[in-house]
Amino acid sequence: MSAADLARLQFATTTSFHFLFVLLTLGLVSLLVIMQTRYTLTRAPVHERMTRFWGRIYVINYALGIVTGIVMEFQFGLNWSGLATYAGDVFGAPLAMETLIAFFLESTFLGLWIFGWGRMNRWLHLALLYLTALTAFASAFWIMAANGFLQHPVGYRLDGNVLRLDDFSALLTNPTFTAALTHVVFASLTVGGVFLTGVSAYHFIKRTPEVDFFRRSLRMGVITTALATPTLMGAGFAQFPVIAEYQPGKSEAAPWIGAPLGFMILIGMTLATVSWFTLPLLIKDAVIRMRFPLYLMVIGIPLPFTAAIFGWMFREIGRQPWLVYGLLRTEDAVSHVDASQILLSLIVFTSLFVLLACVDWALIARAVRRGPDVAPAPVSPLVVTL
Amino acid sequence: METLWLVVLGVLTVGYFSLAGFDYGTGLLLPFRRRDETLRRMTPFFLGNEVWLVAAIGVLFAAFPRLEGELLSGAHSVFTLVLAGLVLFMAAVQLRLWSWLVFTGALMVSVGWGLFLAHLLHAPWPVALVMPVLFAVHGWVFQTRQWKLFPLTALLCALPIPLAFSSIDVTGLMAHTNTLGLLAWVAIPIIPLVVLLQWSIVAISSR
Repeated sequence: MSAADLARLQFATTTSFHFLFVLLTLGLVSLLVIMQTRYTLTRAPVHERMTRFWGRIYVINYALGIVTGIVMEFQFGLNWSGLATYAGDVFGAPLAMETLIAFFLESTFLGLWIFGWGRMNRWLHLALLYLTALTAFASAFWIMAANGFLQHPVGYRLDGNVLRLDDFSALLTNPTFTAALTHVVFASLTVGGVFLTGVSAYHFIKRTPEVDFFRRSLRMGVITTALATPTLMGAGFAQFPVIAEYQPGKSEAAPWIGAPLGFMILIGMTLATVSWFTLPLLIKDAVIRMRFPLYLMVIGIPLPFTAAIFGWMFREIGRQPWLVYGLLRTEDAVSHVDASQILLSLIVFTSLFVLLACVDWALIARAVRRGPDVAPAPVSPLVVTL
Repeated sequence: METLWLVVLGVLTVGYFSLAGFDYGTGLLLPFRRRDETLRRMTPFFLGNEVWLVAAIGVLFAAFPRLEGELLSGAHSVFTLVLAGLVLFMAAVQLRLWSWLVFTGALMVSVGWGLFLAHLLHAPWPVALVMPVLFAVHGWVFQTRQWKLFPLTALLCALPIPLAFSSIDVTGLMAHTNTLGLLAWVAIPIIPLVVLLQWSIVAISSR
């Protein structure tokens, strides 16, 4: 394999792993906002315990997801120095916005939320979670703006052999950005909904004594999935005319590119249908008493993750052979490094990411099995592992 | 405008390395100290430094696009070591299975930064040992609560790499003023805000 092939494979691997963490982070933080708002308004202990239990899973996933993000960011410079050299002035702007406005602040708000648990005014503490969620979605906003530029470059002018930023607002009204952003946001809400449903179902299978706790969580999960999936699919289909206009060759970029797209649509429709059929079964907890749907809910946890990876593959592979569509070819953007160096880093990072995903799974599974706290934990109840 | 961005990059890099000593220094000492207490002291600082690193690389990409790629790809294997160490360190601290795993992660990161320092200075590889030694000393000062020495060792951790950076001539490597001007509106208010918020985390968790 050439350096370009290896670098592409590495980028695909890193992005896919990173995306898994990001989806769960965004999905959970949105649902946490609802839980903690209800707690702050009602002061009912069940809402506090829900915030704490799901919040702990969210924090584990966030902390481990950060490192995949760091590798992701370094990779532009390590393997794709041609991109920064040629388009860094334009593509770098939303990317730097993401690191400064979104990630830099998000992590700091989250840190304050974690360590401020029980030590500050409850409204202030709630405000911190709102700010964390807001900056988390701001992160998605800027990343998708940067990616939208790669799909359909706008707002630039050619100056010698580099691109210069001409009109920043054009980047934010880019049609390949706006529809895709909605799609990604609702995909993350679907992930959150399906995750809450599946984990709650697991506890009912295990005959949990925490009936009220997981009943509420399961309802919240099903309702979120049912509400998110129609918009998710709508924003997905809305992208076809945009693709037809700006990337007419997308479906022919690889002979098999239709397969991931088809599977994604299939999973989306399945989740939408199943969640709407489950809604009436929430009445009098029929779905829990029937029991067999609970097993389907647990099996369903990986589905929205898989669909998201498929969708991402279609978007990114469909852009080939261009890195910046119509302007910079992927093969011309690869750094001048030896293929063996890229191979080494590919092996190292792939094995470490597999390890990281396993650690994430193991820690989340441990927190899930342990269930919600019976007595309030000392220090910060959110940092289970530290 | 150019000076401003050199200062911003300098502040972010200094921020990262001055906070890095807590984490990696503690990691380097972990097998030789009481594990739970040592990790508990580090907890409010855990992940605190990485956000500065991410911000620094983001600024490097957008404000110095012609430098970023050359700098990073020019030391490809060194950064592979640093990043692999980071992944291992973060996973190991969270898992808390084995102190030596945390140690290995911290050692990889700090030797990696040492090798990067040697690379920047065109110095022989033993110079790489400077960073792990400085981090370990800083970690020791932090863990043994020697607050008088603390600012000094923090500064010693923070300065080597930004100083080595300053030997690079950035003329012609920076982004156009259109990009720099836009980003200045963002960077200037955010950095003090993050400092204030991170200070609050430490203040509130030690209450």
